[in-house]
Amino acid sequence: MTKIGIEVHIQLPTQTKLFCRCKNPSTLTEAEPNTLTCENCLGLPGSKPSLNKEAIFQALKLAIALKCDINKETFFSRKSYFYPDLPKNFQITQYEIPIANSGFLKNIRIKRLHLEEDPGRLIHEGSTTLIDYNRSGIPLVELVTEPDFASPAEVREFLKELLSLLSYLQIYTRTSEASMRTDANISTSGERVEIKNITGLRDVEKALNYELRRQQQEIPRIQETRSWLPDKQITILTRTKETEEDYGYIFEPDLTKIEISQKEIQQIKKSLPELAPEKTKRFTQQYKIKESDAQVLTSELLLADLFEKTAKKISPESAAKWLRREIPRVLHYNKKSIHDLEIDETHLIELLDLLETKQITEHTAKKILEQLIEKPFRPSEYIKKQKIKVISKTSEIEQYCKEAIKQNPQAVQDYKTGNEKALNYLIGQVMGKTKGQASHKEVNKIFKKLINT
Amino acid sequence: MLAKDFIKKVKDKEISVIKNTEKILKEAKNINKEYSYFNFISEEYALKQAQEIEKSIKQNKAQGSLLGLPISVKDCICTQSIPSSSGSKILENYIPPFNATVIQKCLQEGAIIIGKTSQDEFGFGGFSTNSAFEIPKNPFDKTRATGGSSGGSAGFTQATSLPHISIAESTGGSIVNPSSFCGVYGLCPTYGLISRYGLIDYANSLDKIGPMAKNIEDIELMLNTIKGQDPKDSTSLNQELKKSKIKKIAIIKESLGVDKQIKDLILEKLDSLKIKYNLISLPITQRYGIQTYYLIAMSEASTNLAKLAGLTHGSQLHLKGTFNEYFSEVRSKFLGKEAKRRIILGTFARMSGFRNAYYLKAMKVRTLIINEYKKAFKKYDLLVSPTMPILPPKFSEIEKLTPLQNYMMDILTVGPNLAGLPHSNIPAGFINKLPVGILFIADHLCENNLIEIGKKLK
Repeated sequence: MTKIGIEVHIQLPTQTKLFCRCKNPSTLTEAEPNTLTCENCLGLPGSKPSLNKEAIFQALKLAIALKCDINKETFFSRKSYFYPDLPKNFQITQYEIPIANSGFLKNIRIKRLHLEEDPGRLIHEGSTTLIDYNRSGIPLVELVTEPDFASPAEVREFLKELLSLLSYLQIYTRTSEASMRTDANISTSGERVEIKNITGLRDVEKALNYELRRQQQEIPRIQETRSWLPDKQITILTRTKETEEDYGYIFEPDLTKIEISQKEIQQIKKSLPELAPEKTKRFTQQYKIKESDAQVLTSELLLADLFEKTAKKISPESAAKWLRREIPRVLHYNKKSIHDLEIDETHLIELLDLLETKQITEHTAKKILEQLIEKPFRPSEYIKKQKIKVISKTSEIEQYCKEAIKQNPQAVQDYKTGNEKALNYLIGQVMGKTKGQASHKEVNKIFKKLINT
Repeated sequence: MLAKDFIKKVKDKEISVIKNTEKILKEAKNINKEYSYFNFISEEYALKQAQEIEKSIKQNKAQGSLLGLPISVKDCICTQSIPSSSGSKILENYIPPFNATVIQKCLQEGAIIIGKTSQDEFGFGGFSTNSAFEIPKNPFDKTRATGGSSGGSAGFTQATSLPHISIAESTGGSIVNPSSFCGVYGLCPTYGLISRYGLIDYANSLDKIGPMAKNIEDIELMLNTIKGQDPKDSTSLNQELKKSKIKKIAIIKESLGVDKQIKDLILEKLDSLKIKYNLISLPITQRYGIQTYYLIAMSEASTNLAKLAGLTHGSQLHLKGTFNEYFSEVRSKFLGKEAKRRIILGTFARMSGFRNAYYLKAMKVRTLIINEYKKAFKKYDLLVSPTMPILPPKFSEIEKLTPLQNYMMDILTVGPNLAGLPHSNIPAGFINKLPVGILFIADHLCENNLIEIGKKLK
């Protein structure tokens, strides 16, 4: 039986870094390498960490949203290992008592959640390696799950859900998904294998699938650690259990213990926004939309908010349909994410209102949406400029249909002998001629009437 | 002359800061030729400071509780644009881009930095003989050690003829030990009273910065200048010193097993105080102090020294091989023998499989030691012992000591250092023309008791 457990590292978007007052690059668009550093980020002798309370606050928000047990007292430790990206050659992290233990997300148990500092970033260029210490000291939350996943797809689903939760909690940035780093433990029939340092969301599933296939061919006999090579799409052996690293943890003597009071926990609990599961429930009750639609809408806070704003003016059913199906379809086609969406509810309301009041057809609405997502504009002005209208007169549509019948006798014949596809072809001809300004439904009805008589 | 009298004269324009600075720099250079108290004499820096201060005095704009006063600073305390090597080749010529908080405070008060004093490499020693540079010599006998690790600070404090205060540092006794061997006053404060920001760490949970001077008034002046909470040092205390009075004193029974001459001199000095004293026993500290101290100090030190690997700062070599090979090459070449010994022992004590038996056990015993002192301070306001168990030893004698015998020299000083208690060395007199010091230990934040007893014993 396949068992997978993961450790995820997520950068927190605090104003400043975890242990110094340098700006946190994860909240900025772009910074020149090694410009956001100080004696702490570079590990210079005599520098000392001082804790950024905002990081504790953000980590607590996440821990509380994950229904974790918060530890009353927590502290930092030094994890010693030599590596060129780690300027002090020890990392300040949490070992004995993390901020929180035992929570869950969906059906996955979370073992622990702790804070630590990000090392610098190594950039390999040919035979040389460059180091950018801007990343050094960014607060990271590390979240460790129990081995509760049965497949790589479940891991991916979990991470998506986690990212969604982060955006609900407003501890999400543009770079959250790309900078997310995962270590995964996977055991199938043999010994447990750990895959280290998989970046982003998509590669996690790929790396685990690769490992599943590999382990079918060579069953691991000893515990080992492997690395995921994203450019080659394979994992390679880095070390076996016998040579496991010893981090020689000691208490971080430059920092004091952190006490977290019940009062503080209660305050954060109260301040948390309505989260996805509750929102789903409310949407089905308040807006009478399908639960499956509500789930998709609430998986992204942006989508959920957009829905609620739109549903004030447009029928919730229609709003749900467009937000759940059409917008994701167009975004996906344009290789964009919901966070790249430039239109707001006013665009959407205008568009759907044109549709509801039958000033445009659904076909036209879809075409307008495709352009809206590329660059926002006002739909009502657009249809005026383009002279778009709805051909609503039946007699007018009938004229187009008759013409099509005349020009396509073969299709008519095929339809008569039972080929449904032939009807679609005929409808397509009319839609083309009318530039989509006739209702699809109406054309369909008219054809059926004309051909049967 | 007391520092405060000197500063008054500077303010009253009776003393020229430039002339005085030139004078002490000249003296320092002369003394240094024979005694090696400085790793670096910051002549240019000091003269520039002196000129600026003199200018502001002329414009009647000069202020500051240390105005124009020359200070020397232990090499392990970061001084911006002055080399800070912590006595090590791996930081030779290292110039920090920032000032330690204590330095910042001294500069604000108008102190003039004349140089960085010699010490054991990273504070690893009790005689200053583990320095990568010139070894300081006792001002009373050049064949003997100054003590350590703040040997240069103590030696120069004794040797200079001019008003001066030194800023030293203690982890397990490095302020009071050389103060005793060089016959000066030295005060190691409550842990957290003085910011450690900018101190090149030995063992962070034990390190304290404190003053050395020729009289107790100067100690008081410097203590009041550099104490106080610092947001850059999370372990610095947000508490004021306690207003306390000395009523009861106890001598630490176990400490009287020292050289009989030393014991007699200490008791004689105490008798002169005319305060009644009792004997107190501190069995846990006596039995486990050294072991506990060295386990914690070395464990922390071994992590602190990891950053010195020739990458972002300090001594470097031509990059070649893997990073592990490069780091090893740099560390093998530039770290001294005692530093290597402490890295290896400290790493061992925190490795999985040994961590419980050594590092974590030591942390627990440390709590027991603190409790033992706390109990004693319920009854007494000061605890007393000799500072050092022997007279300043000859270099030839030190060479014969094993590492363990070396570590045992700290037997009287590691206790208050482990417990973070303020303690001071007060010169008690001489035996065979060599200085002897008394160690006074006070409860947390009761530095005033140490100042009071210092004034009484003059």
